[in-house]
Amino acid sequence: MSVATRTQVIMPQVPNREDLDATWKYLEMGVAKIMADLQDGIDMQTYMGVYTAVHNFCTSQKAVSNAMQGTAIGGAHRGAHLLGEDLYQNLITYLTAYLKNLVQLSKTHSDEALLSFYIREWDRYTTAAKYINHLFRYLNRHWVKREMDEGKKNIFDVYTLHLVQWRQTLFTEVNEKVMDAVLKMVEKQRNGETIEHAQIKSIVDSFVSLGLDESDPTKSTLDVYRFHFERPFLEATKLFYQSESKQFVAENSIVEYMKKAEIRLDEEEERVKMYLHPDIIVPLKKTCNAALISDHSAILRDEFQVLLDNDRYDDMERMYKLLARIPDGLDPLRAKFEAHVRKAGLGAVQKVAVDADKLEPKVYIDALLEIHTQYQALVKKAFQDEPEFTRSLDNACREFVNRNPVCKSGTNKSPELLAKYADAVLRKGTNGAEESDLENILNQIMTVFKYIEDKDVFQKFYSRMLARRLIHTTSSSDDAETSMISKLKEQCGYEYTNKLQRMFQDMQISKDLNGGYKEFEDKILDSGSARGVDATYSILGTGFWPLNAPNTDFTPPAEIAKAYERFQTFYGQKHSGRKLTWLWQFCKGEMKANYCKNQKTPYTFQVSTYQMAILLLFNENDKNSYDDIVKATQLLPDVLDPALGIFVKAKILTMSPEAGKPESGKMFSLNYDFKSKKLRINLNIAVKSEQKQEVEDTHKTIEEDRKLLMQSAIVRIMKARKKMKHTQLVSECINQIRTRFVPKIPDIKKCIDILLEKEYLERLEDDELGYLA
Amino acid sequence: MATSAVTEIKLVSNDNTETMVDRAVAERSMLIKNMLDDMGDGAFEQGIPIPNVNDQVLQKILTWCKHHKDDPPTAADDDSDSRKKTTDIEEWDQKYMQVDQEMLFEIILAANYLDIKPLLDVGCKTVANMIKGKSPEEIRKTFNITNDFTPEEEEQIRRENEWAEDR
Repeated sequence: MSVATRTQVIMPQVPNREDLDATWKYLEMGVAKIMADLQDGIDMQTYMGVYTAVHNFCTSQKAVSNAMQGTAIGGAHRGAHLLGEDLYQNLITYLTAYLKNLVQLSKTHSDEALLSFYIREWDRYTTAAKYINHLFRYLNRHWVKREMDEGKKNIFDVYTLHLVQWRQTLFTEVNEKVMDAVLKMVEKQRNGETIEHAQIKSIVDSFVSLGLDESDPTKSTLDVYRFHFERPFLEATKLFYQSESKQFVAENSIVEYMKKAEIRLDEEEERVKMYLHPDIIVPLKKTCNAALISDHSAILRDEFQVLLDNDRYDDMERMYKLLARIPDGLDPLRAKFEAHVRKAGLGAVQKVAVDADKLEPKVYIDALLEIHTQYQALVKKAFQDEPEFTRSLDNACREFVNRNPVCKSGTNKSPELLAKYADAVLRKGTNGAEESDLENILNQIMTVFKYIEDKDVFQKFYSRMLARRLIHTTSSSDDAETSMISKLKEQCGYEYTNKLQRMFQDMQISKDLNGGYKEFEDKILDSGSARGVDATYSILGTGFWPLNAPNTDFTPPAEIAKAYERFQTFYGQKHSGRKLTWLWQFCKGEMKANYCKNQKTPYTFQVSTYQMAILLLFNENDKNSYDDIVKATQLLPDVLDPALGIFVKAKILTMSPEAGKPESGKMFSLNYDFKSKKLRINLNIAVKSEQKQEVEDTHKTIEEDRKLLMQSAIVRIMKARKKMKHTQLVSECINQIRTRFVPKIPDIKKCIDILLEKEYLERLEDDELGYLA
Repeated sequence: MATSAVTEIKLVSNDNTETMVDRAVAERSMLIKNMLDDMGDGAFEQGIPIPNVNDQVLQKILTWCKHHKDDPPTAADDDSDSRKKTTDIEEWDQKYMQVDQEMLFEIILAANYLDIKPLLDVGCKTVANMIKGKSPEEIRKTFNITNDFTPEEEEQIRRENEWAEDR
């Protein structure tokens, strides 16, 4: 109070404006009052008095006239000389003394008391600085501004000057001790104690405020804060976590450690939000990640296999999240994961592959899918569906789908089995799958299909089986068939499914055609004459269907001959110039057996056309010799023998002598005593050996087709490029074909040689090839 | 800061005359504005002393402040070219500045002291307009200045400033 009363006596007397000493004495008193007693408020007289004294001194007449005299004429260049430097220097002297005193006082404090001291004095000092800045505003506006405009360094506005002085005089002396206290507090908090973290926040703010850009006073930098706060803070953090984690790992399980590390990392993030500068978040994370994760990454990864083996989803997720924080942390996990899935896949296949030849397609595909489903769920749950892990999963699946115990002979066993499975699913009556289930199953098929390398093999088998389903109308649902084709199209493009689609169209066109033929037939046949057989016809485009002309001669029976000649006439009228080839081996029909004794309703036999031709012979004679049958039907033994075999086995015909196979010299007679529980009897059964033959044929054609595919790819590439290096051509060729199958390099080279021979290509110098149009 | 609480304040000129004035008007002076912000409401019930300005000039200054109280505040460091280059003065200000020279200089000094930049600008522009287009002799006459240069000095100055002459 005594100071206040004294100032009130003195203050109103604004000193002589020309007297520097008196003016400064007056100002010093005002400044000191602000520094010391600001919380009591300062009175209006003092405020206005100080401002006025600064103003008056800076505009002092004497100084102006002095300057005019001193600089004589040359003074005209600089304009009026501005006073103020004396005040500025005096202020510096005052602040330095004031701060030196504070440094002395600080020495009596340590730790938290020191923090309180620092913060209290900082707050007091900066608040006062704001006041003094306003009071010295005239100095700022005139003398300081002019000096700065002239580019003088180390001249600051009065507020900034306060900060600079604080940094130079006080901060350099005490910052390390302050930081020690801060770090002690943080360590206490890390050890679970409650601290007054607002204090640390104040220290951070103070350090940040001191970051002044020397070259541009209007800007601030974080340099001071980074060097004096961030650096020691990070260092302490590193040491703390290094020692803590070392000890913890030694005493606890890895899973426990991961939980601990997770908590610690969260805590540090929370700490930043609570009282640190947001700028520290990146380096702090880096420091923590290094101490808590990187340093222990090896043992974490070792644990991964254990977690995988035990399906510990939660812990794997934890590990994923931890290792995702450090650079390259996840790569080793991905590699381990991939190897694990591959092993699991191979194990699953091994279980079902006891007898590879008799392997049910469904069992095999289910085994593949089970592994995929299981690990896809893991990727989703534990690895957040991360694309890289998905890729590892894909790699592993591709590996075990294409190379496993079932595929010992080659990679084309998987596509074959997959196609068979698809056939089983899409064929009528095999399983009463609901429409929605069917769609699911098709999607599963596509999942496996995605991994198949020999997509051309799948295409072959699929189209053969589709053809059979269409011809025999055994498809369970047109919708499902179209859906499957569009899925394949989506995966492999238009070309891949083109033929499949055309097959579908042919069936549609044939339906319309049959309608037209009925009308035609009605016109030419009078109501009186016999219609003969009631037949439908399918017209199949040769290029699209994987079907061959019959491999045997055949003379159709008269009943059928009439009908088919009539159709041929009709078709010839409609599309002149088209040649029809009759695929008798795929034709079938139904016959009614009216001859059986003790049977009122006649049996219906479902038979192939060949079988029909044979049975019709028995309309004329009850007995026919093998040679008679051959003569009448012209069938080769390959086809005839199994057909007769089925009749004998079904006891429709009896063979004499009974022993042996159907062959020349045997006699066949109609069995009038034929009996069956069913009224409809299917005799059109494909024989096992036929099926096997078909599979082998399919594989054979694949090799041929592949050669053509490679050659056409080569020609396509060369046509576009004209000239190309040999090695380049090979790799380009692989690129183009890879979506269908994985070509072997020697095969490509062979194809290039063939093209050279055929003079599509020529050898040029320097291992180059040229295209010959 | 509880700035809105007080809407009228008391100014005391150096001849001890008290004037009540709208806070918004007084705050055209950066000195007063800063002080009000710094001191809080309680500190100046007894009136704000303005030691460097007498009542006559203070009234004149306040007239300007009232007229311009709703002007957008000039940015702290508005050194834009438009402010510097033009000597145009808006009509009201021109009329306002039609005072004897004595008063004109008092206004300028007070505006400088009270930190009212736009008013200081207007004052200086007015003086500049008084100088514009006049010969040194005419200027001396206008401002009642005795020529204390020797002819040699005068010649030297004229040469040095040749580049600036209107031609």
